[in-house]
Parts: sequence; structure tokens; C-alpha cells
Amino acid sequence: MMLPLVMLLKEILGFNDTIYRTVVGLGYMIIYPGLLLVVVIAALMLWAERKIVALVQLRYGPLWVSRRIGGALQGFADLIRFSFQEVIIPRRSDVIPFLLSPGLAILFSMLPIAFIPISPSIHPPLYSDLALLVVIAIISLAPIFIVIMGWASDNKFAFVGSLREALLIVSYEIPLIISIISMAVIYGSLDFYEIVERQYMLPGMILNPFAFIASFIAVLRTTSRFPFEISEAETEIVAGPYTEYSGLMFGLSMGLAYIKLYVYTLILSLVFLGGWLPLQGGEGFLLGFLAPSLVVIIKLSLLSLVAVFLRAIYGRYRLDQAIRLGWIYVLGLSIVSLIWSLALVYGGWVRWR
Amino acid sequence: MVASSIAIEEISKELIQTRDLGVTEEGERLVELQIGPTHPGSGHMRIRVWVDGDIIVRCDPDIGFVFRTIEKLSENRIYMKTIPLVERPSLLDTTPMTIGYINALEKLMGIEPPPRAKYLRTILAELTRIASHLYGIGILAIFLGHSTGFMWGFGDRELFVELANQLSGARITYAYVVPGGVRRDMPQSFPDNVEKALRYMERRLKDWYKIFLNNPVIEDRLREVGVLRKNDAVKLGITGPNLRASGVDFDVRVADPYEAYDELDFMVPVAEEGDAYARTLVRFEEIKQSINIIRDALKKMPSGDIIHPQIARMFNPLMKKIYEETRRVKFPGIFASLKPPKGEATARVEAGRGEALFHIVSDGSPRPYRFRWTTPSYRNVILFKYMIPGHRLADLPAIYGSLDYFPPEADR
Amino acid sequence: MASQQPQASQQRLALGKALEELATRLSEHLKGVATKVEADKRSMVINIEVDRSRILEAAKILSSLGFDHVKSLTGVDYPDKGVIELMVHIGSYSRGLRRIMAILRSKLDRKDPRAPTLTQIWPSSEFQEREAWEMFGIVFEGHPDLRRLLLPEEFEGLWPGRKDFEIPTRKAGEAEEPWK
Repeated sequence: MMLPLVMLLKEILGFNDTIYRTVVGLGYMIIYPGLLLVVVIAALMLWAERKIVALVQLRYGPLWVSRRIGGALQGFADLIRFSFQEVIIPRRSDVIPFLLSPGLAILFSMLPIAFIPISPSIHPPLYSDLALLVVIAIISLAPIFIVIMGWASDNKFAFVGSLREALLIVSYEIPLIISIISMAVIYGSLDFYEIVERQYMLPGMILNPFAFIASFIAVLRTTSRFPFEISEAETEIVAGPYTEYSGLMFGLSMGLAYIKLYVYTLILSLVFLGGWLPLQGGEGFLLGFLAPSLVVIIKLSLLSLVAVFLRAIYGRYRLDQAIRLGWIYVLGLSIVSLIWSLALVYGGWVRWR
Repeated sequence: MVASSIAIEEISKELIQTRDLGVTEEGERLVELQIGPTHPGSGHMRIRVWVDGDIIVRCDPDIGFVFRTIEKLSENRIYMKTIPLVERPSLLDTTPMTIGYINALEKLMGIEPPPRAKYLRTILAELTRIASHLYGIGILAIFLGHSTGFMWGFGDRELFVELANQLSGARITYAYVVPGGVRRDMPQSFPDNVEKALRYMERRLKDWYKIFLNNPVIEDRLREVGVLRKNDAVKLGITGPNLRASGVDFDVRVADPYEAYDELDFMVPVAEEGDAYARTLVRFEEIKQSINIIRDALKKMPSGDIIHPQIARMFNPLMKKIYEETRRVKFPGIFASLKPPKGEATARVEAGRGEALFHIVSDGSPRPYRFRWTTPSYRNVILFKYMIPGHRLADLPAIYGSLDYFPPEADR
Repeated sequence: MASQQPQASQQRLALGKALEELATRLSEHLKGVATKVEADKRSMVINIEVDRSRILEAAKILSSLGFDHVKSLTGVDYPDKGVIELMVHIGSYSRGLRRIMAILRSKLDRKDPRAPTLTQIWPSSEFQEREAWEMFGIVFEGHPDLRRLLLPEEFEGLWPGRKDFEIPTRKAGEAEEPWK
């Protein structure tokens, strides 16, 4: 059904290539695999987290909203509820940063989707052969807005939360960048298409397991998954930088973590898990776009499920313990992974035509 | 942030005069945080904390938010009506509190409950002790962000609350202990249900060890945190598992036995390190020991009356019939004006959190002249002032949870 | 069970005798300081009555004998006798003395109850003295931080623990806090 629609679109807009590309790009960013898919997956991941954790904890989890499918629509129900709640702005807060920072954080978290291909035949709207670097650069900007959120709310607990976030950003972004760069060293390219193609024999996870572990831990920290839920530690600093937010702003703040989880696991599944392999892509919409994208989505969902499952196991680290972990162990692991990649490439085990 | 900086200035001026801080010109660095009653990590109290960066410099517990004036209330009520009053504040281990009060009252009256009643009281006290420790461990878990420990603590506790329900008819506030004995006898199926529950608990403790005590994150959060040395614990009058985790093996059940404890076989777990991890371990071990006590008590349970014959003599024929058929005690109306002889009596018990002291001054009237009651959490409040400074802000919930401090119990 | 009962009562007799011996020994140590030292066998306590001026001395002697913490510190109000009796339950964690408690009593003048602070000898009495102050008005001289512990701010100048404190009852149509 999509195929005649796309062909119709091509007919209507075919006269001007720029307009066609703009419309397709917007559709890519807003509908699939952009905003709509992100919201759906974030809501489902929220539900999956609560359900899995509930099973471990001897209880049912969300069951009220849509009983027959096990409460799967709970995330959407929460989103609707937040949309109708009153947004309270504290009088002494810095209003413009207070209101803008959740939106900007989500913007910078979702912008990389424009660079990341999800199938071998259709290019993302902003295709570039340095996409990996660009994506890492953009997504490293998102945590700054969390710091701004905490400062703009006139609340001591939010202030403490932003300080924690600021300290943790520095400790964990560097290992993440080093690990991703070490994968680029192995593949010899920053282009996502080549990265995925070059995993046809072994996925990146096995080529460089150190980079995988280091970047996975760094992703856990960035998305505030346990045991790194430090900047929003509930029993210590109420909700950290998000304390003063209510209504839709609160929904955006809470969803921010899941949106970042989506984008990071998307990157990780392309770089480490082989992307849309073993499907090679082909002609037409179904084989060329939909099927490989579903493979990618399944792989990223697996990574996300592992990340959210840790809520049932771990407590929360203390700030200085997490920082020590980041600077000693995770940074060390990522440097080891860089040396490993260099050894593999210059030792001759990895060669690309 | 403008208002907060004014507040910082005022407080730093106040602090510059306090001699216990040693903070002089650096007073402006301190940020005062109110971990107040509407904070997810504070319970029913306010903890005022002055923080320098991440280190807590001074901590002032502000208690009294759930002060129910039980001591004053009891001066206006007859002796029987204070029994439900005494069990409300310490909502989790209610039975030791009622046992203590009734022990003091019985010492005044000069009577002693029959042996079967003593064993029944002991069994209920140990059931509530297990439930109280599970609650304490659950609260510690959620303070550290470990939601599984929280849910498991409350889920497992449900079993013991149900057992208490079978024995006494209420889930948490039993009013089971009455002067001269207990109110009800145990039903036929009770020993089997208890045995099933205890076996389940023993299996669950293995899971607890795997997910909570041997969890690397929890160990990092609790080891070397909140170290309470032995002589500090003795000097500050700390009580309960907090004291036993610092190396002092003081337990009222062994030091000054009451009820059936001198005939039962159990050990008192003691740890040496005095940190938060040791306190949690001591609580787990105490759960195991309580399981042993309950099994032992059920085995050695004597048969006989559950109410003192002096009181049973005052029953009218209907009450006698109810007692003989269903083994439930209905009190004659004369207890509304129970007048113990003039004098004073003291009793103490080992509640789930430590030693509780009861002192009744009677002047021969149906109302107590003075009822003095200290709870273990009230004696442990002082640790907030003296143990917390020097730790990081994130250690505050860890220490709070490991102390198993319960604000309503401290405020009474 | 029947065989245990003579054993239990024998044990109790032995304990009672030991308590009396301990009381005589204590009264020797406290000679001249305490006005009365007597054992209460039912509650396993030793009541020590001292004059207001000798409280600190008695406390120092008891502390040196091994009583190392305060379990409870409070007052008992006797308006008809015009005194507030300061009642301190002292205990010990040492092996020999942990079985008993000592109760240090002292009669303070009801119109101006003052007592020396025991925090220098027993730091465990710090919060207990704050509560005794706010309930009865007993001023502890030398206390490092004498302020309200449990009561809210409205109780400035009122001593709720005393017998002449009228518990405010609301009459129909009256405002919420009639004591204001």
C-alpha cells in the first residue's frame, strides 16, 4: 500500500528533485524512523521496563490500562495524561531556559536520526560519509541541556542534580567517543553503510569486545539506567534537574532518557551488532526499506531491553564511585580497545579492499 | 538562586558562632539543604544538612512531626485504653511495645501470666520482629535505589502479617497482649502455616543474599559507610542491631529475659565492623534467629490457660462459656476501673529496633499518674547529629536506611 | 512446666538477693552523696535519691562504676508537693551490670526547676534533656543546645508535661488553636 503512495508522491513532486527530497526527508524524520517511531518505541520500552522489573519483583506491573494486551498501552496513557496536566513554572526560575531546555535536549538527541541510515537502499535525509563522527558530536550536546534544566529551576536539589550530571558527562562521554573511534579504526571508515557492510564475517561485538563493553556502559550512564541513575536519584535529590517540571515538560524530561536510549542503541546496533545484516536489501520498498529497518529495530530493542532490565538488579552508585569507575575502568577499557583496534589493523589481521 | 544565597549568608553567620564546626570564613561555601518531610528520602522528619560541595558538614535532625503525645494521653485514660495507644507509633513491631507496657502493669499488679500465654506472646513478638526487619531492609533498599529489595521486603513481610492476622485477628495493630495473658488462643492450623512460612523465608533468604547482599553496587554503597565505633556506640547509648553491629553483644532478651526467652534457644548475632553493611548483615542474621525461636517455641509450647486465674475468676457465665468454647477472652467491665496498687514499675523489652523502656507511676487511681516510654529510635536519633558529618550527601540515605530509624517510633 | 516453676522462683530469689547486695555496695560508694538507695526487686532497679546539688557528683560516681548510658531522662510533676522529680534511668552495657538499671531521682523546685546537665558525663542524654526541658521547663545548666525537640513553635512558654497544662478542647464554633 505504501508503494503506490510513494510512486504517487514521486509523480506529483517528481518535477522538482529538491521538493521531493525535502518531503521524503520530512517523512523520514517525522513518521518512520523518526519522531513517531521513536515515541512508539519509547512508550513500549517504558512499558517493557516496568513489566520485566515487575516480574522479577513478584508483582504484576502495569495492568490497568489495556488489560488484554498486558497493559502495553500504559506509556501512551501516561503521555496523554501528561499532556493535559498543568505546567507549573516557578516564579523565580529563569523562564526561557526553563521552558526551552527539555525541547532542545530532545531536539539534539533526535537530530542524529537524520544522519543514520536504517536500510541499505534509502539514504537518510542528511547523508554524509562522515556520519559517525557527526552523530557522536551532535549527541554529545544533549546532556548540556540537562545541566541548564537544573540551573534554570530555582531549586537547590535541581542544582545538586545538575552538578552531578555535569561531572558525569565529562567522565563518561570521553570513553564513549574513544570506543566509537576505535571501531572506526577497525572498519576504516566513518560511513554507516560501509561499517555495516564490513561486518559480514564477524559483528563488531566480536571484533572488538572491549569497545562494546565500554560503550555500552557509557550508554547506560548517559540514559540514566541503573546503576548510574545518579543525577535523578529520587531518595537523595528528589528528581535532580527535573524536580520543578510538571505536566508536559515532565513528560518530555522523562521521555528524554528513552529517546536517547533509542538513538544510542541505534548507533550501537549499527556499529557493533551488524545493522541490517544478514538481510542485504533489495529492490522496492518492502525488501529495500521496511525489512532491513525492522531487523535494525529488533537489534536495538534487544540492547534496550538489556539496558532497562538492569533496574531490577542494581542499586544506585554514589557520585564519586561512578566517577572513579568512569575515569579508571571505563576509560582504561576504551583505551585498551583503541590499542586493540590499532593492533588488528596494523598487524594485518583486518584488511579491506 | 538569589533567595538561596541570602539564606546561605544568614546561616553562615549563625554557624560562625557555633564552636563545634570549626568553620570560619568558609561559612559561605555551605549550602543548606532541607531534606524535609515532603522529600522521598526523609520519612516523617526533617533533616537539615549543611553541605560543602559534596561533604556534609553539619546535620540537624528535626523530629516531632508525628508527635502523638502518647505519654500525656495515657494520663487521661484508663490503663486498658493505653494498650492500643502504645502499639500505634512503632507500627511495625507492635507486639514488643504492648508486651513491655503490660509487663510494667503486671509488675504493679503483682501477677504473672500463665506459661502458655508467655509462649504465645513470644511467638507473636518474633513474627513481628521478622516483619519489622524486612521492612527495614526494604526501606534501606529503596533508599539506595534498589527497587527489587524494596518490593521483596514488603512482599515477604506480607506472609508474616498474614500469620499474625490468623493468630490475633488484625494485620498490624493487634492489641493481643492484655494484663494477665493474651486475648486469643492460636487456631489449629497455625503451627503448620507457621512452619510453611518459615521454610519459605529460609529459601528466600538465599535469594536475598544473591541479589542484595552480594550485589557489588550495594556493597560499594554500604561498606565503610557510617562506621560506628564500639565506644561511640556505648557512649551515645545506641541500641538494637546498630549496637550489635559495632561489637557489643547486648540484647535485652538475654540480658534481662522476659516472657519465655529464658527457656528458648537462640543466639545473638554480633558484628565487629560497625559500618552500614554490618548492620544490614546483623538484621539478616536476626531474621534467621527469629525463625529458630519461633520453631523452638512452637515445639515447647505448654498447654493450659491463656489468662491469669485471678482475672478468669471475674468472668461472668457468658464470658466463661466463650472462653471455654472458643478460647477467646472477653474482659469484664470491672477492668474499666482497674486500680493497680500505688507504686512504680519499670520494664524493658527488645523491640525490633532495640531496647524500649516502660516506666509507670501509679497513685492507686484507674489512670496512670505518669507513663514514661522511650523507644529505640528515640535513642538512636543522636546518631544523625554525630555520625553523619564527614560523609557525602549520597551517604545520607544509606546511613539513614541502615540505622532502621523509624520517625513515628521516635516521636511517640 | 511444673518442674521449672520452683526453679524459676529460686532463680528469682537469688536475683533479688544479689540486687540487694548490689544496692548496699552502691550506697557505700555513694555515701554522703545519695540520700536514699534502695532496691526494687520487682522491676530489677536500684532507686537512688540525691539532692539537687549532688546530682553531678552522684553521676560521676555511677559513671565510674560502669553505668555508661542514659536510657531515659524525664520529669514527674507533683504539683501538690511543689516539686518536679527528675528521673534518670541509667543502664550499663558491661557484662556484670547489664541486668539491672539504676534510677537517679532528684526533687527540683517546681517554680524554678534547674538541674546541671549530664551531657558531659553521659553524652546519650543530650536529646533526652531537650525533651525534658520542653515538656516540664527544667533548665539544664550547661547544655550545649537546649531547644525544642518534639513540639512545634506554638508551645513557646508552655510546659505540656506538667499537670496544670490544660489540654485545649475546642468548643463549637471556636477557632482552631484556642491557646493562642
